[in-house]
Amino acid sequence: MARSEPAGRPDIRVSQEEVRRLCDFLYRRTGMLFSDSKRYYIDRRLAERIAATGSSSFQSYFAILRSETEHEIEYLINAFTVNETYFYREDHQLRCMTSELLPNLVTRKRAGESIRIWSVPCSTGEEPYSIAIWLMENWKDVDLYNIEIVASDIDTRALKAATEGLYGKRALIRLSPNLISRYFEPVDGEQYRIDPGLRNSIQFTQANLIDAQDMRRFRGFDMIFCRNVLIYFDDASRRIAGENLYDSLQPGGYICLGHSETMSRISSLFHVCRFPDAIVYQRPEADDDRK
Amino acid sequence: MTENERAAESRRMRILIVDDSSLVRLYYRNALEAADFDVEQAINGIEAMEKVVAQTFDLVVVDVNMPRMDGLSFIRSLRRSASEVAAIPALVISTEAGQQDIDDSRLAGANYYLVKPVSEANLIRYVAALTGVPR
Repeated sequence: MARSEPAGRPDIRVSQEEVRRLCDFLYRRTGMLFSDSKRYYIDRRLAERIAATGSSSFQSYFAILRSETEHEIEYLINAFTVNETYFYREDHQLRCMTSELLPNLVTRKRAGESIRIWSVPCSTGEEPYSIAIWLMENWKDVDLYNIEIVASDIDTRALKAATEGLYGKRALIRLSPNLISRYFEPVDGEQYRIDPGLRNSIQFTQANLIDAQDMRRFRGFDMIFCRNVLIYFDDASRRIAGENLYDSLQPGGYICLGHSETMSRISSLFHVCRFPDAIVYQRPEADDDRK
Repeated sequence: MTENERAAESRRMRILIVDDSSLVRLYYRNALEAADFDVEQAINGIEAMEKVVAQTFDLVVVDVNMPRMDGLSFIRSLRRSASEVAAIPALVISTEAGQQDIDDSRLAGANYYLVKPVSEANLIRYVAALTGVPR
């Protein structure tokens, strides 16, 4: 059945207490903390979901959410996470990857060995594709190692978009016309599809950063890009995510955070590496200084 | 020059890249397509064997270490194939730089051997030389 995009039903009122219950629930499930300062944003998204599920009240919506039979938790997370980004965002970190991180990492590797890179959260794919493009364009040893790029997000809708690899002009704004012609196919006047070979070179899979059980599937990474997600977390969730990310890294592996984020206040497990292009955190070579 | 000769002259050379790393295949493919070669890909020797009997190629570019069927086994079975397929030149590109590796690959029937990493310019240079494309 076709359903027009709901704008929320004006007759449904959600109290502050109900919003708090919802935020508690979301926090327990995802680690994401939505404070009162984001109340307007929460109300809008919540009203959309209440309308979309045909619920008559917050109570009946919350019952659907907790029953876990309708995938509503997934849809709600999708509505609450922001997925707009673009190719070559914060490219100083990509530069740091090829000028400092990879040259350091490969001193421990033989030619032909795997280099594992994890983009989490990968949103709609711009970041993992940017990493792959940057490597092919800027790293002279790109064919000397077996580079594996894994890309994960908690938002299944974003992952679906990432695997479809269809982008508007805004997402490509930082790429030169030459790069666009090498890695994209224009679909119509407005959209571009990522090269199928590039798409198939990246493994997309769902992941929840604060779910230790889930995170066990992700091990042995040499490098993790985890940008602009920890800002959604409170201190406790940040610490859990930090420890999970630590476990996902190889000893000596690096993690890059967003420009406004720091690992130093989250976890003392990592070494801070100040490179000319970026500040990056490293899992120490030896594990014995784990606190 | 006849029509046919002109058509043959302007025909784009077809290259089969055989490498298990998807990023490496993409990197080589981009370089060769930018230099006006047509490119097909295979992820191991078995898939490459299927492609060379079904399609026409002017050169195979082959990695050595691959799962299921490695590059040298592929070149050996290529050379044992029917005459047209057996005559396809093979360029091996490998991470192994030892003299023994180079000798083994020559014995398997490779025409030339490059050690990774290979720059785009060098890849184009050797592929052009082995397919007889003037550059």
